[in-house]
Amino acid sequence: MTTVFRWLFVVLAAYILLIAIVSLLTSRATPEIWGYFMVEDGGNFPITHWENVIGRSKSTDLNIPLVTVSNNQAILSRYDAEHWVLKDIGSENGTFVNGQQLDANKRYMIGSGDEIVMGGVYSTVAPPSIEESKNNEVMRRMDKEPVAPWKILLAITAFQAMTVVQLLLSMGEEITVGVVASFMILTAVMWAYVSFFKARGRKGFEMEMIAFFMSTINLAVTTSFNPTDTVKELIALLIGVALMIFMCVYLRDLDRTRKLRPALLVLAIAALFVNLAFGRAEFGATNWIRIGSMQMQPSEIVKVAFIVLGAGTLEELYDRRNTIMYALFSLYCLGCLALMNDFGTALIFFTTYLVVSFLRSGDFSKMVLTGVGAAAMGLMALKFRPHIASRFAAWGHVWDAGIVDDAGYQQTRAMSMGAGGGLLGLGAGNGSLKDVVASNTDLVFGFVTEDWGYIIAVLLVLCIITLSLFAVMSIVAGRSTFYTICACGAATMFMVQTMLNVFGSIDLFPLTGVTFPFVSTGGTSMVASWAMLAYFKAADMRRNASLAVNREEVWYA
Amino acid sequence: MRKQERRALICLALAMVLFAGLCVFTYRFVKDGSRWAGHYGNTQIYVDGSINRGTVTDRHDEMLLNCTSDGLEYSDDWTTRVSTVHAVGDGKGNIAAGAINMFAGQLIGYDILNGTYDTSAHGKTIQLTIDAKANRTAYNALDGRTGTVGIYNWKTGEIMCMVSTPSFDPAEGAPEDSEESIYFNNFLSGAMTPGSIFKLVTAAAVIDNMPDRDKFSFECDGVNQYGDNEGTEFRDIDEHGEVDFRQALAVSCNGAFGELSRELGGRTLKKTTDKVGLSKSLEFDGIETAAGSFKFPTDDDIRLSWAGIGQGQDLVNPCTMMVYMGAIANGGEAVKPTLIKSTSFIDEIRGPKTLGEYLEVSTAAELKDMMKNNVVENYGEDNFPGLDIYAKSGTAETGGEDSDAWFVGFTDDEEAPYAFVVWVKEGGSGASVAAPIASRVLQALQANNYYE
Repeated sequence: MTTVFRWLFVVLAAYILLIAIVSLLTSRATPEIWGYFMVEDGGNFPITHWENVIGRSKSTDLNIPLVTVSNNQAILSRYDAEHWVLKDIGSENGTFVNGQQLDANKRYMIGSGDEIVMGGVYSTVAPPSIEESKNNEVMRRMDKEPVAPWKILLAITAFQAMTVVQLLLSMGEEITVGVVASFMILTAVMWAYVSFFKARGRKGFEMEMIAFFMSTINLAVTTSFNPTDTVKELIALLIGVALMIFMCVYLRDLDRTRKLRPALLVLAIAALFVNLAFGRAEFGATNWIRIGSMQMQPSEIVKVAFIVLGAGTLEELYDRRNTIMYALFSLYCLGCLALMNDFGTALIFFTTYLVVSFLRSGDFSKMVLTGVGAAAMGLMALKFRPHIASRFAAWGHVWDAGIVDDAGYQQTRAMSMGAGGGLLGLGAGNGSLKDVVASNTDLVFGFVTEDWGYIIAVLLVLCIITLSLFAVMSIVAGRSTFYTICACGAATMFMVQTMLNVFGSIDLFPLTGVTFPFVSTGGTSMVASWAMLAYFKAADMRRNASLAVNREEVWYA
Repeated sequence: MRKQERRALICLALAMVLFAGLCVFTYRFVKDGSRWAGHYGNTQIYVDGSINRGTVTDRHDEMLLNCTSDGLEYSDDWTTRVSTVHAVGDGKGNIAAGAINMFAGQLIGYDILNGTYDTSAHGKTIQLTIDAKANRTAYNALDGRTGTVGIYNWKTGEIMCMVSTPSFDPAEGAPEDSEESIYFNNFLSGAMTPGSIFKLVTAAAVIDNMPDRDKFSFECDGVNQYGDNEGTEFRDIDEHGEVDFRQALAVSCNGAFGELSRELGGRTLKKTTDKVGLSKSLEFDGIETAAGSFKFPTDDDIRLSWAGIGQGQDLVNPCTMMVYMGAIANGGEAVKPTLIKSTSFIDEIRGPKTLGEYLEVSTAAELKDMMKNNVVENYGEDNFPGLDIYAKSGTAETGGEDSDAWFVGFTDDEEAPYAFVVWVKEGGSGASVAAPIASRVLQALQANNYYE
């Protein structure tokens, strides 16, 4: 039976993921038009974002190619349907509204028809006419729609049912009622989720389908490793889904989200502090705390806050104070992680910090300087942390005699038994890697390769890559840099995590012991993975696709 | 916003790195997957450190080793076990080049699609090219002495016989440590003083470099003092009298070959030695043999003379010597040895893997003719009934109690084209000790494999 199942699993997985991936990458959003920027003798420019830089530089959103206009003259942000906020960001010749010069770096509310003068050029902002709105609406309706979720949903359901049968076949009596119930609840939650939001007019579910699929693999890995952990993992999964829904709804309102940040900052600082004070060491890193009988990794949850704290509206990006705050917070996080000896997570935070800073400032030299400085610090850390140094020493030599059963033990076992899975896998529950320490977390790529085969393991990595490509693509139609930085930051985190996890277990990088998003066993990691998904949802500007974006009003019946 | 659009390309760069890493992994997975899966760390197929599936047989399907989940089952016959253990290997990996080690991937039935998923769970059968009967004969013929017998088909490259002594019984479990180097495979890993068998290399150099070799003549007085210094005698067992080149090889005249070596010079001898593959290690089926080592001084005639007759600092690996014998038989072209019987249709069509031209066709023909002459003149054809044999003996001085006995050469038979090497440590005279062993094993091999 397993012989047949192995093929079916691979075919189903390929079907599910390829449909979702192709749909995500081919359905593009036509940017919405929020108003028109009319320049005297220059024409009318549609305003396609909530936040726009006006200036001479080609990289501005509203471009006035005149020498009297500064490279980055002013920022025009949407306030509501009628009103905009204009802010001069230190232009050379000043910005005037109705004859009055604006103070630099101060926000001024303007309405349609107000006369703006920049570098001697008259311009105004106008709302889109009903006719134009209708045209834009028609254009957006012509966009390729996200694929309907039902077929994928059925396929995942079949996959989940077969997984239970396969686990029963391979593990027999070890499979408890709780395990079977967990899978059934997962299926039910998945259907309820899609049905509920579909009924409310949402159309895009590919990302959730991918996440549900990856979570299914997670439950199978968890069960295969230790069936008594399955229920716990499911609970974490449910908390994660709930948190994601909450975050999606919360993220719809940009101002509301921004106001939440100070509280998040305090919480994140406190969480890491508590971790440092009361943390427990496991596998070298002191990144666990225990609350009653529950264990959790605060750094996983801080990841979620780290993204939103690094994001900013266009105005904030030009605000030095905001940038310094973010850098200080990052430094605090890195310091804590270093003290916890959690090198892998520190690397994830650091890379995310670099990418987010680059998105914010675009200052490549600053990024390089930061990188070099940190690399030097990293080297020092290596010197003082022998267990990290030994991992680096083993890197690339894990098969060598003397290392293969020592510092290379985990990697060689992951590769050896992973290779034993071939392309199709041995069948969930049949693997032997489960006897190796941390095989369901740090070595999960090897675990999946053995149990599920190379094809499914690679598809899981492609899922992460797809989410990232989607995040980048979504910027074109993005409303605010806040959302796009969130999405790109989350994408960076997912990718770096996946890289460290996968490359670590196959000796392309030293083994650092981080989790594979959605796939690695671990409650906090599961919650964090689902929560991060909200950032991707918030950047999905396809028409009525995402529950993290307010529905578009219907302009005509 | 447009700036962020451009800057976000850095995320794409990260995605590229991830994808590139996946590609590297894929490449390694395809290339090394079999080796990875066969590693002893794979507890799917290793129980208590022993492989749990797969069968190893000889070329005639005689079972040599059965790997089961209850442990390793070897042949019932003691001689078979002891004589094939260096080819089959032991469970603990003491014999590095043993099949159980080298071909674990095939043994467990690994293939890239299914990995080690094996519905029958019995693994695959590896058919080795060796003939268990010939191995037994060779082991018995060595009769407790340290030595090796290696024979391969110089047309197909299949190693028919590979015995190394001292050996041990793998069914008894591997002894902890052994002073006698029972795990050491003399054939693959040994490097010994060649003695007179090296004259076949010097002779090849003469044929290639001395057009007037027919006019060569040497007066052998049995002592062959060279110069006035002491310790410079190239003694021979007999007083050969006047010998020409051909006769010099037939009687293995040290004096004559010393002179020939001096005429050739160190550089020429080195060139020929390299060309016939004796100074490099040979790699086949993932196995790497030891490399020979030679010193041909250009400024010291005495030491050069010793080197030219296979003494001095010369060391040769038996396997590479056997391949050289095959090259002479095969018109100069050497065929790569193999230990696994090919089951693949493609391999059959592709034919044996060549190691290239070791000798020119004419050189090989002349050497072959001289080697026949050796047998006729010196070893006696009657001693090799039923074999069309071409050979050279060697009696290497090693400073041990007795000389090492060598006998190398080949048979030329459409059905049984075998190149062979026999080495017996401190066995004495090559012609009287090693030659009979070669004769016995070749006859057994021929009887067992004719018209197979």
